[in-house]
Amino acid sequence: MNISKQKLVAFIGVTLIAFGASAQIDRSQMPEAGPEPTINLEKPKEYKLKNGITVMVVENNKLPRVSYQLSIDNMPYVEGDKAGVASLLSSMLGNGTTTISKEDFNEEVDFLGASINFGSSGGFGSGLKKYDDRIVELMADATINPLLTEEEFQKEKNKLIENLKSNEKSLDAVSGRVVGALAYGKNHVYGEFITEESVNNVTFQDVKDLYEMRFAPNEAYIVVVGDIEPKDAKKQIKKYFGDWKKQDLPNISAPELTENVSTTEINFIDLPNASQSNISVTNNVSLKQNDEDYFASLMANNILGGGGEGYLFKNLREDKGYTYGAYSSLGASRYGVSRFNASAKVRNAVADSAVVEFIKEIERIRTEPVDPETLKSAKAKYVGNFVMSLERPQTIANFALNIKRNNLPQDFYANYLENINMVSTDDVLEASKKYFSVDNARVIIVGKGSDVAENLDRLGLPINYFDKYANPIEKPEFKKELPEGVTVSSVYDSYIKAIGGNDVVSKVDNMMMKGNASVQGMSLSFTRKLTKDGKMLELVQMNGNTLSKQVFDGEKGFTAAQGQKMDYTEQQVKDAKIMSGLFTEQKVSDSAELTGIESINGEDAYVIKLTDNVREFYSVDTGLKLATETTAEQMGQKMTSKLMYGDYTDKNGVMVPMMLSQDLGPQTIDIKIEEVKFNDGVTASDFE
Amino acid sequence: MTKTIMLSFFVFFITLAHAQKVEFTEYNLDNGLHVILHQDNTAPVVITSVMYDVGGKDGPRDRTGFAHFFEHLLFEGTENIERGEFMKIIPANGGTFNANTSQDRTYYYEIFPSNKLELGLWLESERMLHPVIDQKGVDTQNEVVKEEKRQSYDRPYGKFLEVVGENLFEAHPYKDTNIGEMEHLDAATLEEFNAYFDKYYGPNNAVLVVAGDIDKAETIKMVKQYFGEIKSRPAVERNFPEEEPITETKKVTAYDANIQIPAIIAAYRLPGQATRDAFVLDMISAYLSGGKSSVLFKKMVDEQKQALQVQAVNLGQVDYNIFALLALPLGDVSLDSLLVEIDEEVAKMQNELISERDYQKLQNQFENQFVNSNSSVAGIASSLATYYMLYDDVDLINNQLDLYRSITREEIRDVAKKYLSPNQRIEIEYLPKKDDK
Repeated sequence: MNISKQKLVAFIGVTLIAFGASAQIDRSQMPEAGPEPTINLEKPKEYKLKNGITVMVVENNKLPRVSYQLSIDNMPYVEGDKAGVASLLSSMLGNGTTTISKEDFNEEVDFLGASINFGSSGGFGSGLKKYDDRIVELMADATINPLLTEEEFQKEKNKLIENLKSNEKSLDAVSGRVVGALAYGKNHVYGEFITEESVNNVTFQDVKDLYEMRFAPNEAYIVVVGDIEPKDAKKQIKKYFGDWKKQDLPNISAPELTENVSTTEINFIDLPNASQSNISVTNNVSLKQNDEDYFASLMANNILGGGGEGYLFKNLREDKGYTYGAYSSLGASRYGVSRFNASAKVRNAVADSAVVEFIKEIERIRTEPVDPETLKSAKAKYVGNFVMSLERPQTIANFALNIKRNNLPQDFYANYLENINMVSTDDVLEASKKYFSVDNARVIIVGKGSDVAENLDRLGLPINYFDKYANPIEKPEFKKELPEGVTVSSVYDSYIKAIGGNDVVSKVDNMMMKGNASVQGMSLSFTRKLTKDGKMLELVQMNGNTLSKQVFDGEKGFTAAQGQKMDYTEQQVKDAKIMSGLFTEQKVSDSAELTGIESINGEDAYVIKLTDNVREFYSVDTGLKLATETTAEQMGQKMTSKLMYGDYTDKNGVMVPMMLSQDLGPQTIDIKIEEVKFNDGVTASDFE
Repeated sequence: MTKTIMLSFFVFFITLAHAQKVEFTEYNLDNGLHVILHQDNTAPVVITSVMYDVGGKDGPRDRTGFAHFFEHLLFEGTENIERGEFMKIIPANGGTFNANTSQDRTYYYEIFPSNKLELGLWLESERMLHPVIDQKGVDTQNEVVKEEKRQSYDRPYGKFLEVVGENLFEAHPYKDTNIGEMEHLDAATLEEFNAYFDKYYGPNNAVLVVAGDIDKAETIKMVKQYFGEIKSRPAVERNFPEEEPITETKKVTAYDANIQIPAIIAAYRLPGQATRDAFVLDMISAYLSGGKSSVLFKKMVDEQKQALQVQAVNLGQVDYNIFALLALPLGDVSLDSLLVEIDEEVAKMQNELISERDYQKLQNQFENQFVNSNSSVAGIASSLATYYMLYDDVDLINNQLDLYRSITREEIRDVAKKYLSPNQRIEIEYLPKKDDK
């Protein structure tokens, strides 16, 4: 079907047939569409000036306004350690000319009700028809003879730095920065970003040099749209931009595609204030608009994540309710350097689950042929959007500009709808396989580490950690904000209160616990004895045989296992002195330090660091002790294990954990406590 | 090359914009649905839109956020459109859609190639006649809305409006956020949602706009066929409490975990958007901060380098407008001194006439804005619905510029004097939330 070739059918005639005056509607059926409207793909009038400028004019008299868009066809340019120079140049441009002061210039633009703005490779002016001549004149003067002053430079520099600051904690700003930087590399033209440091490196001369390098008529386009006759527009542009001299411009090489990662990995960036996690699943692609599979790739991306009907949105929002919106995008560039990106902002608690769903949907479109109806719908969407875009007179100007800038065939847009309609389900599958990666993707997550990081481990993907500026870092400790007034002693007080109160606890001199655990089918028994004065015994037995024994008598200790006995090292003695004893929380040791809040099995806990090797966790909610974590060094490797306390039960007025869970590497041993005794069953000989 | 400015030349160069009168037809169906049609056959595009007279301010105050919640619910499906199909059918027919909610009204629309006009009417009439409101839809959208709230409120300066609302209003429901309290949505029952729909979503509480590439006579027939059968409902009555005028400056402090640079806000509670004074205040805000040569921008951002940003906003609402002056400091400048600088300029407006040239500048700016506001059929449809429902004067689509032109310099001075004194406002220090707070 080629819409552009169909004859115009008057809409009126069709509707008359469909709705005879008394026809009843059947609202259980979706109404049929009328015949496709004919589209009229005009071409802008085009002129070339001697200095290289191409003028394109689209006359549209509907409203008394005119706009002028200047695009200078520059190669993307790496700013390097002076990132920010282009931004500074754009904000300094459009503030006066060498003969009109800044004040007069801005006043006059405002006075005309017009706007004139610049980027680092062009500008845009627009306003009322009755002032169009003056608007072009001002715009041309500001383009060719800009007023660039040291004072203005300093001011814009300060503002840029403050603006960076104001976005320091913004999830969108941080995500935008790190996703590009990680995908392309920080030194790549599409991956570099502005920092306070890089802005400070920029000198006034740099800005002036950049202007010389970027602003030249050689490859410039000026698109004029609005209530103006093409020949008048040409005259205007010639009059005001005609004197702009051609320049010798430096050669800049085209950007190159950054290789993708060799296996899919998670890149995590902690943003403690974030209430959502921003997830991006991304890989780099080489795709140009004149590639044969361009249209298939458009369809593929649209079906995956082009809108509210996409796989991602349907799953992550409409089915799971994880997010306000999940979408994907697939870039195409004339250099063949762009990215596929699927992303959503989700609540921190479901970040890991959201990643699973993202990968699932990407895998789905790569392996399952799309439903023909879905493909048909995707095509109809593009056809409709194409038709509707023609309401804006800018559209045909943009089409013409795009053909030139991206070296597209002249009939690219004339054949656009036909090409869309030719895409097959196989084409979509092929394009998906080619452009959407599940094996070489980066899953970049910016979110609140204390809520997210722990859950990511279960995804089974390698995780690398980065700071907010995409620098690799070691896995950080993820802390939650401590409420005001919480200290080690307040945490201890709550704990003592939670297990029965000072009075009850103080009466306990010693304690004995016995329990059982089942490990790989074997039944182990476990005994633990503790005294108030800091003695400790731990015994693990199987069928009456001792497997391991740990003893500390308050001064020295040992571990015995498999017939070998090892005395405590100095460090172990030191740790044991701090840790041993009964309800040691009754007093605060000097080395104890409240480090933050972390999540233990989904429950928030205050973390108290007792020594470099020992941390204890107390429930924020109940006050009870949830876990003790010890780090031991074995053969140069640090091993961390946690003993978890659960099922607290009242024993003679004291709350005692009746379930102890010890994690040992990948497995967990659950010890069920059968017997608890206070001030009974403990003798001095136990600790020999 | 030399350039001379001939400023005086332009002052005498003011003509009226003729070409753009928006023609429209309006009428009521028997069930009370108000219909506005605008025909423009220059591009094959049509918009069907419905504005309901229901917004964040409507409903019991222990059930805030319902109107916005319905903006989500009413895409879930209808008796003839299965769950999830709404959002599939529209793009599958080449259309786009969206909806938005303010404190005063909710707006739903679809834009299609013009051969899909009937589809647009069917979709909107289905939504009005018999949407399916069930627990599954409520549960899913409840989660989605929570994410929307995080996304829109938990971002830098995202709580501005919330903080202004809760401090500027004591009795009127504008005190509550438009998106509502999540606890209220969690506690809401299906019956409550259904009752809310029955109360506020009747045809007699809505306006339908069809604009673009249409034939009027045929469109009138189709509108009747699709919307005629919908039953009218009892009229909605509103008795919102009135606010007592503010006579003493109220100072408050608010915190935002997502910012590093503080902000100062001075907010005034003013007459609603349809009053003449509100139009005058539009001009006052443009004078203060519209464009680089505006008094506040020029002085505070440009010359004295005290502010990173400064803005005067006149936020239009039906019962009370919110007029807010806000600024972000540059470097170590104190929030107080920002306010002093702003007040100095406001005081000048209260005591002196703005210059003839500045007055002319405002006129040009409003003319440009007026011309651009009618550049798409979607924009025209939204304006028609808004002027009908919230201003009670559809002709504003063509007359608005005349209204601005009729405002004199004296009126600008008098309105500034009447409403914008420090004792009539709340002053909010909007500060970064430190880790230990």
